[in-house]
Amino acid sequence: MMEKMIFGRFIPGDSFVHQLDPRSKLIFTFIFVVIVFLANNVATYGLLLIFTLFVILISRIRLYFLINGLKPVIILVIFTFLIHILFTREGDVLLNLGFLEVYEGGLRQGIFISIRFVVLVFVTTILTLTTSPISITDGLEVLLNPLKKFKLPIHELALMMSIALRFIPTLMDETDKIMKAQMARGSDLGAGPIKDRIKAVVPLLVPLFVSAFKRAEDLATAMEVRGYRGGEGRTRYRQLKWDAKDTTCIFALVLMTALLVFFRS
Amino acid sequence: MRNSQIFSLTLVAIFAALTAIGAFIKIPLPIVPFTMQIIIVFLAGSILGSKRGLQSQLVYIFVGLAGLPVFTQGGGLTYVLQPTFGYLVGFAVGAFIIGYIIERGGEEPSRLRFVVANLVGTFVIYAIGAPYVYFALNFLLDMPTSASTVFMTAFLSTVGVDIVLAIVTGLFARRIYFLLNKKMFNVLEVPK
Repeated sequence: MMEKMIFGRFIPGDSFVHQLDPRSKLIFTFIFVVIVFLANNVATYGLLLIFTLFVILISRIRLYFLINGLKPVIILVIFTFLIHILFTREGDVLLNLGFLEVYEGGLRQGIFISIRFVVLVFVTTILTLTTSPISITDGLEVLLNPLKKFKLPIHELALMMSIALRFIPTLMDETDKIMKAQMARGSDLGAGPIKDRIKAVVPLLVPLFVSAFKRAEDLATAMEVRGYRGGEGRTRYRQLKWDAKDTTCIFALVLMTALLVFFRS
Repeated sequence: MRNSQIFSLTLVAIFAALTAIGAFIKIPLPIVPFTMQIIIVFLAGSILGSKRGLQSQLVYIFVGLAGLPVFTQGGGLTYVLQPTFGYLVGFAVGAFIIGYIIERGGEEPSRLRFVVANLVGTFVIYAIGAPYVYFALNFLLDMPTSASTVFMTAFLSTVGVDIVLAIVTGLFARRIYFLLNKKMFNVLEVPK
């Protein structure tokens, strides 16, 4: 269970992308995810690919980590690709095997959709590979600050995100321990009739909840003792700094959007 | 800020973390394995109440979208494209509605109210999740899929287990609810 939660997803470094402010990276990624859907012909998809390769190059992330990020969606990509090849019937027939006909339009659509996927996954993976979760949280808090006008508790949400980030590995360890302890007592989640399996969850849930509540309470006490009183007037230890690099990055994105709009059919 | 407020804040964060962990505890059943996640969602709604329950699920979604692999199949912004993302949104709304129904129950909500709230919550999760599967397959992924196929795989295959869990968790949640309320009450009572 633990190896699934590799927290080394963030890779420290000092490339151009690493040095960017989390805010500019977040804005960049959000807008990029939207403009990917503008592409609809060879020229625009080509542009997207070149642009993404360029971003990968300047982030100096090893390709191995990016491919790793692709793993969870690779089945989806292959599946959509095959569906398009098999079922889209447009244009000339490229290949005829009697029972199977591959059309030109289908092949083109399949490749386009695959590029869309790969580009999306790469760019969002670069965001998380070059930005620590804590800076992402900080960046989000600042970016979403205007929403406070609508009475949304942005500071609280950001703080809760940081706490959750901090406690996921801890509670994970704990769950692992409890599961092993219950297994040693003969509880088995994988055997017996359904009723027994559902029943076997209870001895797992109860200790987990007891310890989770205890941790929440301890943390609340610790925060109160240190004088936590909400977001009002709170200063930051980690300061965010927006400089010329960030402006360049946003400018490149605007240029990319303009090119995509210009070349799309 | 009163201690009880900070406690509820940390509790929400811990529930978000528990939801993430729930995604990884799989219980193998024939046909569809179920994760503990939906149990945590029921509990978040019934114990934390509408607003806090909603917040805990939103925090979970944000942590996942920010890139930590806390969802069943990874994480990151691209998860929005996954057909199952709708269920996560459903969790948030479902937790809110479960909390809302139980809050209407007065001082001591009945057992029936907990169970009904969870059943309504299950319905809401599917009402958001299943159409999203359809939407994602047809429009985001350009994969034409008929509504009946989606209905079979996204709804019928798992709804049975979830209804059973909703009832069982409802009974379980009621006990924790009173224990915790007593505790919160103790925290609130400031010695004079």
